[in-house]
Amino acid sequence: MSQAESADIVVVGTGVVGCLIAEQLLDAGHSVLMLEAGPRVERWQIVEKYRNLAPITTTNLDAAYPPTRWAPFLDSTSPLTAVDYLQLEGPNARAYRQDYVRYAGGSTWHWAGICWRLTPEDMRLKSLYGVGRDWAFDYATLEPYYTRVEQALGVCGPSDPELQWPPIRSKPYPMGRLPFGPGEQKFTDAAARLGLKNLPAAQARNSGVAYDGRPPCCGNNSCIPVCPIGAKYDAASSLPRIEAKGGKILVNAVVYRVEAGAANQVQAVHYFDPDKQSHRVTGKLFVIACNGIETPKLLLMSADTRNPRGVANSSDQVGRNMMDQPKLVAELTLAEPAWTGVGPVQGSSIMQTSQGDFRREHAGALFRFNNMARSRLGAIQALNKGLVGKALDAEIRRLSACTAELTIEHELLPDPNNRLTLSDKKDALGIPKPNIYYDVGAYVRKSAESYSTPLVKQLAREMGATDVKVTTEFTNSDHIMGGMIMGANPADSVVDVDCRAHDHPNLFLPGGGAMTTAGCGNSTLTMAALALKAADAMVAQLTHA
Amino acid sequence: MLLSAFWSFGLKDCDSSADIGAARFSIRFTRRLVLAAAVGLVAAQPRLVRSAVAPDDRFMDDRFMALSRLLIPHNLDAEIGRRIAAELKTDRAPFRDHIDALLKLAHDRRAAVVEDFFPFASDQSKAAALRIISAWYLGVVDDAPDAKIVAYELALMFKPTSDVMTIPTYSISRPNGWGATSPPLSSMPTF
Repeated sequence: MSQAESADIVVVGTGVVGCLIAEQLLDAGHSVLMLEAGPRVERWQIVEKYRNLAPITTTNLDAAYPPTRWAPFLDSTSPLTAVDYLQLEGPNARAYRQDYVRYAGGSTWHWAGICWRLTPEDMRLKSLYGVGRDWAFDYATLEPYYTRVEQALGVCGPSDPELQWPPIRSKPYPMGRLPFGPGEQKFTDAAARLGLKNLPAAQARNSGVAYDGRPPCCGNNSCIPVCPIGAKYDAASSLPRIEAKGGKILVNAVVYRVEAGAANQVQAVHYFDPDKQSHRVTGKLFVIACNGIETPKLLLMSADTRNPRGVANSSDQVGRNMMDQPKLVAELTLAEPAWTGVGPVQGSSIMQTSQGDFRREHAGALFRFNNMARSRLGAIQALNKGLVGKALDAEIRRLSACTAELTIEHELLPDPNNRLTLSDKKDALGIPKPNIYYDVGAYVRKSAESYSTPLVKQLAREMGATDVKVTTEFTNSDHIMGGMIMGANPADSVVDVDCRAHDHPNLFLPGGGAMTTAGCGNSTLTMAALALKAADAMVAQLTHA
Repeated sequence: MLLSAFWSFGLKDCDSSADIGAARFSIRFTRRLVLAAAVGLVAAQPRLVRSAVAPDDRFMDDRFMALSRLLIPHNLDAEIGRRIAAELKTDRAPFRDHIDALLKLAHDRRAAVVEDFFPFASDQSKAAALRIISAWYLGVVDDAPDAKIVAYELALMFKPTSDVMTIPTYSISRPNGWGATSPPLSSMPTF
């Protein structure tokens, strides 16, 4: 073992949460060391990898990010590889095949860039509807942090309050909304005829102008798996700036233990390099921000005599309440073209369907038009028909234009039975793989049966669909939440209102894992807002120290 | 060959080296190729590399291109044709036989376009013809996870919708320059 490094703040993870915190602490004059389990690559390498993928693999959105031996994650290359890392069980095991990337920059490399806020009601499920939990603070407390994140990431959105979600804002978006392509417009028009409003999404994508040194979006339509020009925020674009400010980033450093010492202060983290040589890193404050699966896994692995159930786990809530937005998909065949692939891969959603008194009985849901270009899918299907010549071209065009996909994402309640534990199976470094039990529960199932599926069929018909097939098996939305749940009571939660571990005064666990409820929208903006709130607390803590 | 060499630069191939590529990368790639790749041109510039071709191979390549032009009524890139032919040649005798049979059929029926002779081909020849057509459209001879890509930007699958749909990672618009205009299906692009 070697004494490798030390810094005021040690940040494990280089995704959006880790990068926002690192930068704020550097700006406040503190030294920062970031540890990343995976490698660091350049944008062009990912773009090149993606362009050299066989068309059949393009539905595997992680294919451009092959896992390293030492930092594995779910690999969807084949049915066999897909079950190798995450050990999933329970009625909806398939729905927790979360795609994330253990690379420098984290999963922001291949996020869609969507930045929905929670609503005030999303944060008060227990008191308003008698389900789930209430957050330990209200929307008004979170709102300034939402605003700061929107400025930090460069979030575009509509200036018209009628099109904002929710229209409770202290500042305008730093950029105006992005335009719709024909498909999203057709979906918007269909929704309007049903009395529903399809809103332009708030997106961390530069709209019409350069922002923060990144160029404006040019509609390259590959936000997932990578923005080739860096118009979408990804944490990778933050890394050089962090280094320029004096931050140090160690890659291929797989943290496997959080070491607690006197008074249960965390005093070090230990990491393996790819050759399994162990290194110890000390600091004053520690941030574990390596996503909602890897963070609880690390905490559980770090059990010691003082913390027999794992670090930060006196409540036994670490790894429980695992959440996502269980997804169903409607495949449409249309008489008239909808056209996908114009603009970003996602750009709007119907959000009002996530709210209502019905939440006493069943989950709300959002509905969106999937705007990924369908040209490859159309070509594969047309070729499979054995067509040639003009008939082949015409069928490719028809199948590409006249098929579409609508996505439903449901709100899942925090349930302690949805639980991450350590598997007996080990990865290449001998680190336990995550085992997750997952059941979307009656709350979501009832929504799918009586609410969301009937409504998506209505939307499809209104778009002119001649055929609609709605999946019945829930799948993952990749919004990993809940495993280090926030609350005021240390007996039933892991972190306090600043994402500080109840058990360890100098350990912070910000991100999706800290979210008390999930809502229906993409979780990144809330994760990032919690990161800035935690960063404020860290600066204050160091100042007072 | 450039593409195969570049394809092999997969992160899965990395060993335990903590630095994932810089050293090996600099050894295996010339400055010119690195620069080309850096601007994303490897798949987009098929003429970047020409391999030495034996006379017999050149003869077969010419016949392959002649057949391809009969099977596909569009402009075809010769370098991509060479790449497809090279992949198909791994099963050499049947490949040559299929080309011969299809060219003879086209000649016998005085075919100008694929519709003139394809319906009259044997099942085996049809399968071979469809494999060739599929390779030109998909940019890969056998669409499998580990397949070697012979074309991306110039793969014909993107062409029938090129007036509307972006080739992912490329752009046909400008900042906020797109809109909701929905052209009719009948407006097939020329390619």
